[in-house]
Amino acid sequence: MTKYWLLVLLAGLIEIGWAMGLKYAHTIPFWIGVIALIVLSFYILIIATNKLPVSTVYAVFTGIGTAGTVIVETLLFNEPFSMTKISFILLLLVGVIGLKMLSSEKETGDA
Amino acid sequence: MAWVYLILAGLFEVGGVIGMNKVAQRKNLSSFAILFGAFACSFTFLALAMKTLPMGVSYAVWTGIGTVGGTLVGMFLYNESKDWKRVLFISFIIIAVVGLKITQ
Repeated sequence: MTKYWLLVLLAGLIEIGWAMGLKYAHTIPFWIGVIALIVLSFYILIIATNKLPVSTVYAVFTGIGTAGTVIVETLLFNEPFSMTKISFILLLLVGVIGLKMLSSEKETGDA
Repeated sequence: MAWVYLILAGLFEVGGVIGMNKVAQRKNLSSFAILFGAFACSFTFLALAMKTLPMGVSYAVWTGIGTVGGTLVGMFLYNESKDWKRVLFISFIIIAVVGLKITQ
């Protein structure tokens, strides 16, 4: 089960890459790379949905992508972290960890 | 018109989540066609909406419709757990994502 959650995390991290890529893609090779990353992240998500509910997977994937993009852009462009941003990211973490714990409750063995 | 495009983009995203459910159940050509077709339409309408609407608001509304719709579809069409705790945690994620997109 944990393995499938790690796959969702990986897909979310790849999403950060292509979400930022979409903003800065101006050349054909760059676009091809962005599209390849989109396909790869969805491929990994589909593997995760073999064991986890689709809407859980999708919400967590979107969440990681959004929070990750905000964090990366803040680090790259030296934007100050606002309390609002930090609060939303913490709320998101509570949601993700909560869902992970709920799915572990029903686990039988393969943690 | 931009708002109509945005709502359509959100609805196509729900279609994409339905496609993910179909692929999860049966990995055949039609499932993948629904998955990629719906997400392609969704991105196209989102891009059209963004020509006139601010990016942050567009993303927030789009993701909101997609995630809420996807969750409802999962619970009512695909028998996913309706446990209130699960709904609560997914709501946290949606609120956080919409909030982050709007404040960007």
